Amino acid sequence: MTDTSPGSPTSGHGFETHAYDVVVIGAGGAGLRAAVAAHDAGARVAIVCKSLLGKAHTVMAEGGIAAAMGNVYPDDNWQVHFRDTMRGGKMLNNWRMAQLHAQEAPKRVLELEEWGALFDRTTDGLISQRDFGGHRYARLAHVGDRTGLEMIRTLQQRVVELGIDVYMECTVTDLLRDGDQVSGAFAYWRESGRFLVFQTPTVVLATGGIGKSYQVTSNSWEYTGDGHALALRTGASLINMEFVQFHPTGMVWPPSVRGILVTESVCGDGGVLRNSEGKRFMFDNIPEFFRAETADNEEEADRWYDDKRNNRRPPELLPRDEVARAINSEIKAGRGSPHGGVFLDIASRRDAAFIRRRLPSMYHQFKELADVDITAEPMEVGPTCHYVMGGVEVDADTGASTVEGLYAAGEVAGGMHGSNRLGGNSLSDLLVFGRRAGLNAAYYAGRMGSARPAVSDQAVKAAAEHALAPFTDEGGENPYTIQKDLQDLMQRLVGIIRKKEELEESLTELQSLNRRAENLTVEGHRQYNPGWHLALDLPNMLRVSECIARAALVREESRGGHTRDDFPKPSEEWGTLNLVLTESGGEISIKEQPLPVMPGELRQLFEEK
Amino acid sequence: MDVTLKIRRYNPEVSEDVRWEEHTVSMQPTDKVLDALHKVKWEIDGSLTFRRSCAHGVCGSDAMRINGRNRLACKTLVKDVNPDQPVSIEPIKGLPVLKDLVVDMEPFFDAYRSMLPFLVTTGNEPTRERLQSQQDRDRFDDTTKCILCAACTTSCPVYWTDGQYFGPQAIVGAHRFIFDSRDEGTDQRLEILNDKEGVWRCRTTFNCTEACPRGIEVTKAIQEVKRALIFRR
Repeated sequence: MTDTSPGSPTSGHGFETHAYDVVVIGAGGAGLRAAVAAHDAGARVAIVCKSLLGKAHTVMAEGGIAAAMGNVYPDDNWQVHFRDTMRGGKMLNNWRMAQLHAQEAPKRVLELEEWGALFDRTTDGLISQRDFGGHRYARLAHVGDRTGLEMIRTLQQRVVELGIDVYMECTVTDLLRDGDQVSGAFAYWRESGRFLVFQTPTVVLATGGIGKSYQVTSNSWEYTGDGHALALRTGASLINMEFVQFHPTGMVWPPSVRGILVTESVCGDGGVLRNSEGKRFMFDNIPEFFRAETADNEEEADRWYDDKRNNRRPPELLPRDEVARAINSEIKAGRGSPHGGVFLDIASRRDAAFIRRRLPSMYHQFKELADVDITAEPMEVGPTCHYVMGGVEVDADTGASTVEGLYAAGEVAGGMHGSNRLGGNSLSDLLVFGRRAGLNAAYYAGRMGSARPAVSDQAVKAAAEHALAPFTDEGGENPYTIQKDLQDLMQRLVGIIRKKEELEESLTELQSLNRRAENLTVEGHRQYNPGWHLALDLPNMLRVSECIARAALVREESRGGHTRDDFPKPSEEWGTLNLVLTESGGEISIKEQPLPVMPGELRQLFEEK
Repeated sequence: MDVTLKIRRYNPEVSEDVRWEEHTVSMQPTDKVLDALHKVKWEIDGSLTFRRSCAHGVCGSDAMRINGRNRLACKTLVKDVNPDQPVSIEPIKGLPVLKDLVVDMEPFFDAYRSMLPFLVTTGNEPTRERLQSQQDRDRFDDTTKCILCAACTTSCPVYWTDGQYFGPQAIVGAHRFIFDSRDEGTDQRLEILNDKEGVWRCRTTFNCTEACPRGIEVTKAIQEVKRALIFRR
């Protein structure tokens, strides 16, 4: 999988050099799907990833892939999925992305099946689909509660079958440009610390999210916002960075499982949320927007599990932002659980055999990791940093950023999910837009022919110096300390509920962290040195954190994954605006930009009952 | 509680010698061994090197030998590893050590790739999903749980001594397709596994089953492949 042939050509800069048509950064769902698409379009493709192949964060997705296949509810179709997605995102989504996503997701699921993915089946042998928060119909194609693992394995197998080059444990630190065009990428092998250069007219960013900037997060260590920061540094713009999704039900106790998510399927299968008084508080937290389709009493909600057609959904299955906010206010009002969460109870509502059958991985995970038996006792859960809606501003159809040759797909891209993502829409997003970005990067490279943008030795040398800087400084700080301080700051001041004074304070503190990060000291040598790796990731985390805080300060309303204590309601005016962030001369600037306008025939879907 | 970790260190950039290093850290009994390693790395010695990714037992990056047994550090609680005594931590066995707890996974992936780890089909692409009954799907459910952590392969005494043997994971990977009702590559895979370095090298010691952090019945899967080979004739 890894090509380390000693005969690789090098240039004046002397580093190992490889030439490709498309270089995909990241080997999660979006990156692998992009690479397969680019390969199928005839491009020479490389995948470059920080971890071993198959370990990316996608692996942890549990619930399923949202796709209006209609296997369980024939009434389902792309229009309903589109509407659910837009409403879940509080209408701030890029409508065209939401449309393409809803239209193409079923095809992408069938393609996975064609490549051998395992799915749970209906009695007729079709791919089974399950209920999830914010989705009107049972729509998530799944395999138990390890859908992400099966998806990544299937795509990984496809990559092996097609013989695509994979550079594992290889980190990209800089993108190279020729004028305004992408011309390459600069990277180092984690194992040896040696540098390498990719000459390529296109780069697809598929680096995932930013969660490692927060203290309580479900995200893997890779989630340091590399793609977001690379895009900014290369001249591309980011949108929607103020919107960070806090998954409502991450474990808060015991510490060994803090941050582990309890999938929404628990609620889909009968689990309910209770406060310390034993009350199902979600009934008091049904927003006007979702009132018509949400049960307002326990009797109706409990009937829904068996008769979904004639009853409305339990309020525990509202979109994630609503549930997270409600949990947060229960905790703030002093009605939380002993360790600062609320109770998620399925044990008292379903028998042990049912729970073990429907939620096998959940059951085992808690039993083994925390000695908690979810069939016997309620779980203590609370909001956990899970996903960033914001990302690289891209063209909906092609995934192209504002920089020539630079593409983005998956979590690192912005727009698809508006202000809040529905569960299950991420895996489908990876497939739909991973494919589109890969295809279009391949087409772009193909159109270019042999006239390729050049990699300058000077740019390569600058990138190498930049990467080695942490070794040259002496007497500086331990990068782990700064990372810890950053996580603490983001959790405290830019978390789920925000206010002006705290956001301003966060920007001041970020400035001082930036200053401290200029003087980092790394022990040891270049071979497999985790301290050095963190020293290179840290500026990315700081940069992305600043983007979140800045955008959060400017948007004076509450919507989806952005809640302002001082502006608690959504505003009509802000509902038509994106915030766009760009970097120039090391400074971030921010501007308002009107949302793309939805055509009339799609708008109609929101007027029908 | 105070826990002492006895960690096998190796850094070829400094010295070819292996040494054991002890660090004592203060932990909760329900903390994971991975938490203890992080504490050492973040607070005591930033050069300590190990792989980890999701930290929740799903990605399979942090398999290591803890008190002589292959386990995932993120799925092993401190209270369960006899923390009154120093807890020994070393890299998984049978693969070349690169640095500290990091091994070269390439031979392991080579074996994985050699088993044709993808669905082999003939004929036209279907227009919808291929039908598969829940029963047929359940037939190979166990072996699809594999997370490629290498805990099974590197617990196998045959694998330690025989550089040619594919190892348990590759056979698990093959099993996942051999028993998939949709797959048509069974003969090819069985042929590969029938090789003298193939499935017959397994001596049924059950180390692999015991090592699997996903609870896959690895030895049983290997036996099923052996049976398939015998009854094919």
